[in-house]
Amino acid sequence: MAEDVQQKLEQYRTAPFDARFPNQNQTRNCWQNYLDYYRCQKALDAKGVDTAPCDWYKRVYKSLCPLSWIEKWDTQREDGTFPGKI
Amino acid sequence: MAHQAHAYHMVDPSPWPLTGAIAALLMTSGLAIWFHFHSTMLMTLGLVLTLLTMYQWWRDIIREGTFQGHHTPPVQKGLRYGMILFITSEVFFFLGFFWAFYHSSLAPTPELGGCWPPTGIIPLDPFEVPLLNTAVLLASGVTVTWAHHSIMEGERKQTIQSLALTILLGFYFTALQAMEYYEAPFTIADGVYGSTFFVATGFHGLHVIIGSTFLAVCLLRQIQYHFTSEHHFGFEAAAWYWHFVDVVWLFLYVSIYWWGS
Repeated sequence: MAEDVQQKLEQYRTAPFDARFPNQNQTRNCWQNYLDYYRCQKALDAKGVDTAPCDWYKRVYKSLCPLSWIEKWDTQREDGTFPGKI
Repeated sequence: MAHQAHAYHMVDPSPWPLTGAIAALLMTSGLAIWFHFHSTMLMTLGLVLTLLTMYQWWRDIIREGTFQGHHTPPVQKGLRYGMILFITSEVFFFLGFFWAFYHSSLAPTPELGGCWPPTGIIPLDPFEVPLLNTAVLLASGVTVTWAHHSIMEGERKQTIQSLALTILLGFYFTALQAMEYYEAPFTIADGVYGSTFFVATGFHGLHVIIGSTFLAVCLLRQIQYHFTSEHHFGFEAAAWYWHFVDVVWLFLYVSIYWWGS
């Protein structure tokens, strides 16, 4: 499983089609992957396991999300004002 | 001397449509003046003129119908159509605010935390005062129906009692809702949740006050023997309006208070 993830990460070019978000407006796609990355980090950290599988979500959101959104959300997480549930 | 050979009502010339239009102009421009120049004079003038217009116009209609007999069956039919069309237009008015609520709540944006209620919003418990409010309005729907049947059966005292009870229930709703507004942990400025909540419930509350006033006028008229068991359209119109207000509340309760929590 970890080898698959490694493989996927090595072959990564850009975010693949995600059937959960089939339409032109990809906001939710960006938002969901941003959330999933930090939730994955939090969950695996708590278990004391290697967080490498989480990098997939990071790649996806870095491909999809506008930089200003990522900066804004990162700042909000630092300030404790991030509205999403992590 | 010529007299009309038809059952319709050719209304005498009246100044109230003009004063009503002027009042509307003064109120709207007065609102703009208030926003930009901090003076409420024009708006207050508009409001006073509006109240005077409404009082005198409707007083004249009562004179024409109840005292002068102009409200024959075809005329009454026209008044019925009018009230139904007006209430229909109000339905569309509220439809807009429900559209706004569902637009924002079905697909909550990242700014809200992607969830509804938005992050940080503590919604009101739908099973506390809002449920009581629902019971109050439903009960008032029963009492207004009781009043109608009392009128039709010529029961003067019961009509007065049930109509008065309906109005009291209306006031109780208004008082409870006012207290809820005061105690609520969120305000109209709290994002789209606050906006949709207070605009939708606020306009509803305004309609409760209007409906209670309409019913109160009917109570005064009933006490003064205006209604007969066969002819009491003013009351029927008030009752229709009151049921409409009740139905709007039911939609508000289910959508915003219950599903929206």
